[in-house]
Amino acid sequence: MSALARDLAPLVLAGVLGPAGAGKLFGRGTARQAPRTALARLLRDGGRAALVLRVLGAVELLLAAALLAPPTTPLPGAAAALLGAGFLGYLGYARAAAPGSSCGCTARQEAPLTWRAFARAAAVLAGGAAAALARQPWWTAAARHPAAAACLVLAAAVVLTALSANPERRWRMPLRRLRLRIAGHPLAATATATAVAPATTPATTQVAVPPDAAGAPPPVPLTAAGARTAVPVAATVELLERSRAWQSVSRVVRSALMDHWDDGGWRILQFAGVYGGGTAARPVLVLFAMDAAASLDTVREPAVRVSVIDADSGAPVMATA
Amino acid sequence: MSAYRTGDTLARRRFLTAAALRGATVIGTGALSASALSTGVLGTRVAGATGTTGVIGATALGAVDADAAFAAPIRPLDPAVAESAFAEGRIAAINGDVLEVAGSYGDHSRVRITGATSVWKGRATTAADIETGDGLYARGLPLPDGTLATDAVWVNIVNLHATIRGIERTRLHLAHGQHEIIGNLMAERTSAAYGDASPTADLSRLTIGQSAQVLGAWRPSDGSVDLVRVAVAPGAGRRR
Repeated sequence: MSALARDLAPLVLAGVLGPAGAGKLFGRGTARQAPRTALARLLRDGGRAALVLRVLGAVELLLAAALLAPPTTPLPGAAAALLGAGFLGYLGYARAAAPGSSCGCTARQEAPLTWRAFARAAAVLAGGAAAALARQPWWTAAARHPAAAACLVLAAAVVLTALSANPERRWRMPLRRLRLRIAGHPLAATATATAVAPATTPATTQVAVPPDAAGAPPPVPLTAAGARTAVPVAATVELLERSRAWQSVSRVVRSALMDHWDDGGWRILQFAGVYGGGTAARPVLVLFAMDAAASLDTVREPAVRVSVIDADSGAPVMATA
Repeated sequence: MSAYRTGDTLARRRFLTAAALRGATVIGTGALSASALSTGVLGTRVAGATGTTGVIGATALGAVDADAAFAAPIRPLDPAVAESAFAEGRIAAINGDVLEVAGSYGDHSRVRITGATSVWKGRATTAADIETGDGLYARGLPLPDGTLATDAVWVNIVNLHATIRGIERTRLHLAHGQHEIIGNLMAERTSAAYGDASPTADLSRLTIGQSAQVLGAWRPSDGSVDLVRVAVAPGAGRRR
């Protein structure tokens, strides 16, 4: 098995160096990210760092091609091992000189220096050494033991993917997406609740404020405070803030939303404020009563009951009705 | 002291519900014309209201939404209204009604909570929920004793741009720059806003990879965020 691994090392190594080299050489992000790499600090010039990164990318691509193609010589492997050793040295320097900077290893994501960068460099060094010691071309070895070769390459791919600069984006997010697709959306129930809520709370729509209902309040039963409705309080507040009722008393209101509750299809919103000026100023409560099921999506002309009461006595302050 | 103040929450709310429903009904959106309300005590205030700053949800002293904690201060148009002041920072100590706040820039302020102060901590709540170590953003009027009498206090409020990296039944995994943040979903409180539509309790259209503007309350104990609103662009569900 170890002989097979050694013979397949050029293939795996080419799989690592090829994409990384292509990313550095052709990637549009190279110039943008180069100034943030430790290399820029080493060279004291972001532009020069970008150039070096592109040259390095070209070298990696050439090495990948040499590792894949005949004739089989130890030279590409040795060169790759040397490259891996160089990477390790560079990372060691970067860790000491600029720990917060990006390594520029793959030139795609801004990846701060972590143990993964060192592990990748060590893998290149080990892979290069193994490739230099390979006794037969990788395609011959693969043809002799196709199943074992496939397993080995797959295992190497998994390990190298786990070592990639941004594991979150590379594999954790796709895995989570896959899980959602298979098991369904974990929050699908919230859509159902939203859809059925109006049907389960008929009182909400029945007692919605008609335009001419500014008279005596209906004797509404007090239900459990904060009863579930489909419309979040944020949507009610949004509707209120765009309403004419809000504009009418916004000069009185001082506080943000102090309290809110649902009651028999109404949603009551309580604010604190100051009414009057100078010595006549007195603290008041500003109360709004709105249809608990209404939002900007469903109502164009919101009907809002406005009431201002004295904060101390509870007596009405404004003769608004 | 009226009955509504001495009773329990239910009694107080019942009293206030009745008071709210006795109020005048105002229909429509936008600025109010003077004739929209019956002439009465509102008269002079109404005339002033037509010339409000145009900021949605603004009062004479400043905006009132949770988002408003991040908005620029509003200069009152009415010279009779004193200009509001702001304080922000971490609460170093709580002495009765006064919060000792250490500002982010080395400053220090004393914030007074009154009976008329609204307290937001992921939801509208009371001063009893405020704890030492909480972050705070407050708007109010400076008093002669050097304290800030607050009209509104937002505790631990965060408003950040993030990418949704994972969705579970009780939480979202969010990425903000290089930081990974756990966003706690709060039953019946977390809402989602899809594009320009109104906030909804329907969170089923959130997808992994979406960019989101997240409003919530930070939990100092574990660094997670109680999500209040997750606003995503229209066309939700598209993979990036």
